[in-house]
Amino acid sequence: MANIRAASDIGGTFTDLVYFAVDEETGQIADMKAVKTHTTPDEFQAGVMTSLDVAGVSAKDLSFFAHGSTVVINALTERKGVKTGLITTQGFRDILEIARGNRPDFFNLRYQKPEAFVPRYLRREVTERLTHRGEVVTPLAIEEIEPILQDFKAEGVEAIAVCLLHSYANTAHEQQLCDEIKRLSPDVTMVASHQISREWREYERTNTAALCAYVKPIASAYLSEMENALQRGGFTGSFYVMQSNGGIDTVSSAKEVPISIVESGPASGVLGAAALGKMLGINDIIAFDIGGTTAKCSLIDGGRVSLTNQYMIEKDARSAGYPIMTPVVDIVEIGNGGGSIGWVDEFDKMHVGPQSAGAMPGPVAYGKGGTEPTTTDANIMLGRINPNYFIGGEIKADVSAVKLAFEKLGSQLDISATDAARGVIRIANHNMGNALKLVSINRGYDPRDFTMIAFGGGGAMHAAALAQELNIPKVIIPAHAAVFSAWGMLMSDLRRDYALTLPLALEPSNAAQISKAFENIRAEAVEAYTSESIDFEDVYFEQMLELRYEGQEHTVQVLAPLGGIDGTAIKDLIDSFNDAYERKYTYRLKNNVELVSCKVTAFAKVDRPEIGKLDASVFGPLKAAIKEVRGVDFDEYGVHETTIYQREKLAPGTFLSGPAVVEESGSTIVVFPAHTLKVDEYGNLHIDTTGGLS
Amino acid sequence: MINQTATPIDPITTEIIQSSLTAITDEMFATMRKTAMSSIIYEVLDFGVAMMDANGNLASSGSGIPGFIGMLEPGVRSVMEKFDPETEVFPGDIFMTNIPHHGGVSHLNDVVLILPVFVEGKILAWLANKAHWVDVGGCFPGSISPDATEIYQEGLQLPCIKVIDKNETNQAVIDILAINSRVPDITVGDFWAGVASMRAGERRLLALAEKYGPGALLYAIEDYIRTGEAMSRKALGNLPKGTFEATDVTDDGLEIQATINISDEEFVVDLRGNPPQRKDALNASYDATFVDVQMIYKAIAGAQTFANAGTFKPLKVLVDDDSMFAAKYPSAMSVYYETSIMVFDLLWKALAPVMPESLPAGHYASICGTFMGGRHPETGKDHSIVEPQIGGWGGSLDRDGLNALYTGYHGDTFNVPVEVAEQRNGLMIDRLCLNEDHGGEGEYTGGKGINLDYRILRDDWWITMAYVRSKKGPWGLNGGLEGTTNYIKVLRKDGQEERYSSCTALPLNKGDVVQVVTANGGGYGSPENRPHAKVAADIRNGYITADRANKIYGYNE
Repeated sequence: MANIRAASDIGGTFTDLVYFAVDEETGQIADMKAVKTHTTPDEFQAGVMTSLDVAGVSAKDLSFFAHGSTVVINALTERKGVKTGLITTQGFRDILEIARGNRPDFFNLRYQKPEAFVPRYLRREVTERLTHRGEVVTPLAIEEIEPILQDFKAEGVEAIAVCLLHSYANTAHEQQLCDEIKRLSPDVTMVASHQISREWREYERTNTAALCAYVKPIASAYLSEMENALQRGGFTGSFYVMQSNGGIDTVSSAKEVPISIVESGPASGVLGAAALGKMLGINDIIAFDIGGTTAKCSLIDGGRVSLTNQYMIEKDARSAGYPIMTPVVDIVEIGNGGGSIGWVDEFDKMHVGPQSAGAMPGPVAYGKGGTEPTTTDANIMLGRINPNYFIGGEIKADVSAVKLAFEKLGSQLDISATDAARGVIRIANHNMGNALKLVSINRGYDPRDFTMIAFGGGGAMHAAALAQELNIPKVIIPAHAAVFSAWGMLMSDLRRDYALTLPLALEPSNAAQISKAFENIRAEAVEAYTSESIDFEDVYFEQMLELRYEGQEHTVQVLAPLGGIDGTAIKDLIDSFNDAYERKYTYRLKNNVELVSCKVTAFAKVDRPEIGKLDASVFGPLKAAIKEVRGVDFDEYGVHETTIYQREKLAPGTFLSGPAVVEESGSTIVVFPAHTLKVDEYGNLHIDTTGGLS
Repeated sequence: MINQTATPIDPITTEIIQSSLTAITDEMFATMRKTAMSSIIYEVLDFGVAMMDANGNLASSGSGIPGFIGMLEPGVRSVMEKFDPETEVFPGDIFMTNIPHHGGVSHLNDVVLILPVFVEGKILAWLANKAHWVDVGGCFPGSISPDATEIYQEGLQLPCIKVIDKNETNQAVIDILAINSRVPDITVGDFWAGVASMRAGERRLLALAEKYGPGALLYAIEDYIRTGEAMSRKALGNLPKGTFEATDVTDDGLEIQATINISDEEFVVDLRGNPPQRKDALNASYDATFVDVQMIYKAIAGAQTFANAGTFKPLKVLVDDDSMFAAKYPSAMSVYYETSIMVFDLLWKALAPVMPESLPAGHYASICGTFMGGRHPETGKDHSIVEPQIGGWGGSLDRDGLNALYTGYHGDTFNVPVEVAEQRNGLMIDRLCLNEDHGGEGEYTGGKGINLDYRILRDDWWITMAYVRSKKGPWGLNGGLEGTTNYIKVLRKDGQEERYSSCTALPLNKGDVVQVVTANGGGYGSPENRPHAKVAADIRNGYITADRANKIYGYNE
């Protein structure tokens, strides 16, 4: 077996494969390569195998294979899961349908509430009751389960979700219920809420369990097929699955609670940014990804990816959506990407997106019949994208159609075609800038302390202008920007996030209880890892507390020490909380501080060779990287005759001053006048928006 | 000259500034939600934030509740009347008001904070924040009771005062607020949350002014209000024209009525001839009634577009000076919200027959504000709960009514999870399920209200509540049946059962159970038109019994 490590990320359009061999002599990564193939929607695993074929990599040479897939989110949004039954506490079967009673579309009296995934006749109750401390008020009436299972069987239920009130505080009843189900129906697919979340809020936890059960048979079958396909190819390495929390996990764990991979694609891009930052010694990062229809951003503070447990699907200004209480990388996403359409409403207001030209007809420049100008078209109109090297030279952009489209758009506002194109970019940038502010300024962070890492097809084109607007001093365009999500998986450790709701006053007298809670979670994590043959030595932890002032609802996260927590540690934690609170909200109170939950992240190290540095001596002179000189419109910074460079030919250590454009297959990097660009020893591009020389 | 002058700018910059204004009020909203001390603010969202122009016209609003959108203009105007903006208003000032008859709009619990934003020594805009404080003193815990007869009983009055003077906090005022409240920590915390929210908005607005210049900002605000009016007038043009009327009877037997006249230019609501000002606390101020008109108008004329001062230019309200819909000082108003929702429901009822594409049949139409308190059984601390309830919505021309949703007066309001409520409030909740009572059937059935049972865990608790639609259920439309009613039952530990639609500080003891029942909505269309397949599914899902299905739909299994 050769030592090849690979990661594959299935997106809506493309399946990306990134792989490298490890140099036997240096122990370093010899040569990182990437392959893009078209996604095969009905048979994802076939697409993955094809990409391995295209790359010329045999499954038997793989020592490590990580995989990210949209199988779970697709099954949810397309309602292609299985018939699911729910078992819950007496008196509460309607929780799933009642939800939270909110109506985000608040003027609209004909609102449509999202429909529950489990209909009322398949929601069944059992006699049992716990208090919020987990004490048993009414024992579980175990004899009630058999008739429910019989009914479920008669109805053709294929998966069962279990969620009991206060099970976060005591899992015993859920556990007994599951044991009984297993005893009576050994083959039935089942998910209990405590397997996914030990946090309170019964609707959110019930819905999470229900959605997990709904997709579990589909996701398990898919992952098994993937394993089989690899094994048929002779694969004997380790197979990992990318999760929503910005880490990979074993395939057996993903099959057990597949809801944990619901947002794997976007999460791995953010993880890639964190991994790249680690490599370069940069800890405070804003990860920024522009795709065809949306832009996504996320903040990395001190090297830590931010997570949320309030992830929602199908939520927008018109719908309350569905909560999924599993740790997901905290990403702000907006409907502005390369394909977003610029348009003028009946009251003469210009907007960009959220409608997108999609893949068909695509931007006007594709010449496939699109007539509405997109952000990509605006970049062509202004000379930023090379019409002769469009999508890596696959298509020659239809420049006259683009001009015509902007003339039409501009005429609605009495402005020129060029001003209309500038307007589309300014509004798109404004929208994306708002998303960037949401993850930074609005959360009390100063963008001047951060580095932006920009990727995805359109990231590099808009990054520098946005960074300038937000006073972010530095932008990095990674060497593998176009396949960055898959690259991120290759750089990942195993990661499991545990949270336990434990409402307590944060005071020295409770130190022992908090310390014990952390200890129990860590022990649980170690046990789970070692049972899957992962070395105890490879496991490492991070601990956080969710704190608030007594009476509040929203919490602020504070890092907790890894050792035991004593009275002194509690006092330090209260200080850190007050500082963090004041940074966010500008004031502090003398009120008591309350603990809401303990959070532990358990990582397991994956052996990972270092990435080798590029050898500058194999590159030609800078002159050889010049493709052409053309006029490029930098909006308020003027129109300049601009030198265009070929990225692949830029040697490490190269230094350029803007205005300049760097082109690579599938992406264009725009360097504004007064900005500078430097190529680092790994081939990443660093843009300094302050014009400094570093 | 106190105001800036507008400088015309290009359409793209205008659009960018306008979208930034929305982002600013959104951020003010988010900050308030995250820093507030009580669930009535962070979960129920009984608060609103807004930005007014220098003259007090609503420019942008970040409210998640429609009922608060128009409530902050009168507050700013009351500051401008009392303090000369040229000589008595300074950077760093914050004003405070809560008297409903004089710019506070709703009731004393809703405290309005107002901050002027200065650029180059002139007022550019006003930011305002209004939130329901859990307790502002007075005779009754929670400061709310249907039995109040004058405002002096309803708590501390803040007659448009300057609480922060050029960044110097008037500590005397804060101390008075604290000592008058039954929950001083929460009161002071919510005050600072409001200040933090406005200061967040101020920082962003100043950054925007620095970037584009105050003249450009002013132009963008003026243009935004003009656009609001243009959109509104266009939507008005598309509405059916004519005169529409509705009548109803309150739970205490008073006849109420409304006439709406829609023309190409105006939307006029005539509420003259309604009952006089009441002796109890179910009075609404003129400003509160105007908000009802704004809400119903927005629901039928562009529900999914933004709202600002321009939007409401075509509206006019005619109401008698001393009526229960425009009561005078010092009438009691703590339960104004039930009167307001009566007006809202009445206007809805008048228009629904001609605008069924925007308006379903009647919903449960009561805030169902439920106030409970006592010593927390675990901590021994004084604790109080303020919760509106969810209920059933009416059927409409192409679908069944929604189950268990907050009223049309609410918006992105969240109920308190059972697991959180039990820990926080020291109660047990025995059940939370859909109300299976009969009623509201139709071709499209009314949605279900709820049963919510609170078990009291310590002696010497109390409950105050005043629900309307307790005698007569939500109205059906186009042949649909009337829904059921809102009320509570108290099951005493000794087995006695009491029913209330209104009570003040009713004693509760350990082992008593308060059963909240909210109404099922009205049906739409004749029951005989409901397909039998749907009736069969209703029976299977337990939404209707086989007997009732047979009686109403003539359905036999």
